[in-house]
Amino acid sequence: MKLDVVGRSLIRVDGLSKVTGKAIYPQDIYMEGMLYGKTLRSTKPHAYFKLDITEALKIDGVVKILTAEDVPGHNSHGVLFKDHEVLCNKKVRRVGDPMAFVVAESEKIGDEALKAIKVEYEELEALFDPSEAMKETAPQIHEGNSNIVYHYKLRKGNIEEAFKECHVLVENEYFVPMVDHAFLQPEAGIAYMEEDGTVVVAVATQYPHFDQIEVAEALGIPTERIKIINPAVGGAFGGREDITMQIHLAMAAKITGKPVKAIYSREESFEAHSKRHSVKMKYKTGATKEGKLLAMEATLIGDTGAYASWAINVMRKSGVHATGPYEIPNVKVDSYSIYTNNPFAGAMRGFGAAQVPIAYEQQMDMLAEKLNIDPVTFRLKNIFRVGSETATGQLLDESVPLDRCIEEVEKNMNFIERFKGGVAQ
Amino acid sequence: MKKRGIGFATMFYGTGYGNGFPDVSTAVAELKKDGKIVIYVGATEVGQGAKTIMSQIPAEVLGVKVEDIIFICEDTSITPDAGTAAASRQTYNTGNAIKKAAEALRDEIIKIAVEMLEVNSDTGLVIKEGSVYIKTFPSKKVAFTEIAEKIGDELLRKEATFIAHSTKMDEETGQGSPYWPYTFGACGVEVEVDTETGYVEIIKATVAQDVGKAINPTLIEGQIDGGFAMGYGYAILENLNVVKGHIKNNRFTNYLIPTAMDMPEVDKIIVEDPESTGPFGAKGIGEPVMIYVAPAILNAIYNAVGIRMTEIPVTPEKLLKALNENK
Repeated sequence: MKLDVVGRSLIRVDGLSKVTGKAIYPQDIYMEGMLYGKTLRSTKPHAYFKLDITEALKIDGVVKILTAEDVPGHNSHGVLFKDHEVLCNKKVRRVGDPMAFVVAESEKIGDEALKAIKVEYEELEALFDPSEAMKETAPQIHEGNSNIVYHYKLRKGNIEEAFKECHVLVENEYFVPMVDHAFLQPEAGIAYMEEDGTVVVAVATQYPHFDQIEVAEALGIPTERIKIINPAVGGAFGGREDITMQIHLAMAAKITGKPVKAIYSREESFEAHSKRHSVKMKYKTGATKEGKLLAMEATLIGDTGAYASWAINVMRKSGVHATGPYEIPNVKVDSYSIYTNNPFAGAMRGFGAAQVPIAYEQQMDMLAEKLNIDPVTFRLKNIFRVGSETATGQLLDESVPLDRCIEEVEKNMNFIERFKGGVAQ
Repeated sequence: MKKRGIGFATMFYGTGYGNGFPDVSTAVAELKKDGKIVIYVGATEVGQGAKTIMSQIPAEVLGVKVEDIIFICEDTSITPDAGTAAASRQTYNTGNAIKKAAEALRDEIIKIAVEMLEVNSDTGLVIKEGSVYIKTFPSKKVAFTEIAEKIGDELLRKEATFIAHSTKMDEETGQGSPYWPYTFGACGVEVEVDTETGYVEIIKATVAQDVGKAINPTLIEGQIDGGFAMGYGYAILENLNVVKGHIKNNRFTNYLIPTAMDMPEVDKIIVEDPESTGPFGAKGIGEPVMIYVAPAILNAIYNAVGIRMTEIPVTPEKLLKALNENK
C-alpha cells in the first residue's frame, strides 16, 4: 500500500506553540477574582487525627476551609477501588494524605492558614515492609481482613519435575524501589462555575473522562454538569492517572462560587501522586545443557503503599511478563500487591513490566555464563517467535520480530564477538 | 581505574488494559464547510505526540494534508471518551477508532460524490487533496467544500468505536490471553565503570524497537531517547529515599534524573512488522522503549567489573561498596 502521510516524519502539530512558549498550561490560566487553594497534608504515616480550624478561619483573607464534612457526594475515589478519601475523615494512611483544603485570597494567606490549623494525631503502628504487612498478625491498614490486595497465580507445566532435568540453575533475589514519574510540570489547575451551573475544571490530566466521573461522584451531581478542560500537559508517565487536586478544586469552586486555582510545588508533587511499585523478586531459572530454558519460578512482592490505585493490574502485568520474551514450558509465578503505609504506588510507564526485566534479564546472562554461551546466542535459542506460546498459554500468531531486533543490535555493536572474552577484568 | 563493559537485554510488552477489561476508544470525524476535517476525541496529548500521529491517520484515510485536520481533544463536553493516555494504547486503540471514523466519513463523502459526479459506481473514484475524482478522468472532480455545501445545514459527521481484544485469565492457573498486541525490542549498552568512584558512565547504546508500522519515525526516535533516559535514571540515579513513609529526596537537587548532558549517543533502529489489527499496522511503543534499558545497563556493569547488582539504583556509593567487598 502506498501511503502519503503515514510513515512520514512530520513536525509535531503542537511543537511550535510549545517551543515558543505560547502553549497554555494550567498554571498559566488566571481569572478575575480567583482564589487560591492549599492542601493540608498528613505528616504521619498511620494515625487517627483531629483538626481544629477555628484560629485559621479567623485569618483575614481565608474564605473557606474544606474538610471531609464538606464533601457533598461520595468522600471516596480511586481507579480500581474507591479507597482514597477526597479529604481524610478520621484516619491517615500515609505521609501526604490530604486532610483539609484551604481556600484563600492569596497563596501567602493560604500558607498562613495551613500553619494555623491545629492537628492532633493519635499514631498507629505503621507498616513499611510488604513482607511484614502480608502476615496474618499485621495490623490492618484498610478495613478488611488482610493487607494483601491481590495475588496473581500463574501455573504452567510442572516446575518440580522440570528443575530436576535442568543442567544449570540460577537463583537470586532482586529489589527495585519506588521511583517517581518526575514529570516537568507539577500539578496545577483552576476550577470555575459556568452560568448554567456546570463546574469546569481545567487541569493537566491523562484521562479527562475518568476525572469527570470521579469529580461528579464526589460532588454528588450528574456527570454532564462537570466539564474537564485539559490544557497543555507537561508529561504524565502514569502519574496523572489518580486524581489529586481535581476534586478539591471543583468542590472549592462550587462552594465559594468563585474561580479557585492551585499549584503544587515540586516537593508537594512528590507527596501527592503515585509511585512506581517497588518489587521484591525471587527468581529460580533453569536450562538444559543445550541452552534451552526449561523451568522458571518467581515470587514477586509489590509494595502498593497506602492505596490500591492500579495495584491489581500492575502486579498482574508483572506476573504475565515475569518470564520475559522467552519460551519456558514450566512456569510458576506468584505475584502479590500489598498495602503498606508507604507512598501509594500506581501506574508508571512500563506498568509492572518494567520491574521484572531487572530480574529475568540478569538471570538470562547468568545462565548463559554457566553454559559458556554468549548472552545473545543464548537468547536467540529461547525467544518468542511467530507460533510461540507464552507462559499464560497465549499464541503469538503474527508480528513477533524480536529476532530481527536482536540481530540489529548485534550487528551494530558486535556483541557476540566482544562477549567471547567473558567478563572484562 | 576505568573498566569498560557491554550488556544486552530484550523485552516484550502487552498493550492495553488487558485481562478482558473493557478497552474502548471512540472518535468522531466531521467535514467542515471549508473542506477541513475535524477529529473529536478525548485522547490526551501528554507530550508523546498523540495530536500529530492522530492527525496523520485521518489525513491518510481522507487524502488531505495534516494542516487540514483540526484535532480537538481538550474538552470532555465535546469529545467522546477515548480511554486513558496510558498502557501504550493510544496509537493502537484510539488510532483505530479515528481510522474507523475517518473511513466512515470517507465512505459518506464518496457516496455524495457519486451523485454529484453522476457516475454509476464508486469504483474508480479517488479521494485525494481534498477532492474526489475519477481515476481515469481526473479533471472530473468534486471538492470537499462543494460536498459540504451540497448537504447544506446538515453536518457530515461519523462516530466510530474500537474495542481491543483481550480475555480474562483463569483465576487458578493464570492461563489466558491477557493482552494484545505485544511489542518487542532489544537494547545494547556499553558502560565505563570508574572503580575508584563507583560512577557508571554510559558510553554508547543501541536500541532496536518493534513498532509494527512507524506512523511518524522521528516521533518514535523521540520516544526512544526519552525512554532511554528514564531507564537510565531507574538503573543508576533515581532514589526517593523513603524512610518510614517519608520521601527524603523530594526535589530535583537530591532526586536525580538524567539530563541531556548525561545522555549517551543512542543508535535507534526502527523494526517494522505490521500488526494486522493495528491502524496501518502500528503498535504502541510509549512504554516498551524504557523497559530494556535498565537491565542492559546492569548486565554491562557485570561485564565490566564482574559484580551482579541485584538492587537498583546502582549509585556510586552502592557500587563502590560492592567493589570493595569483592576485592
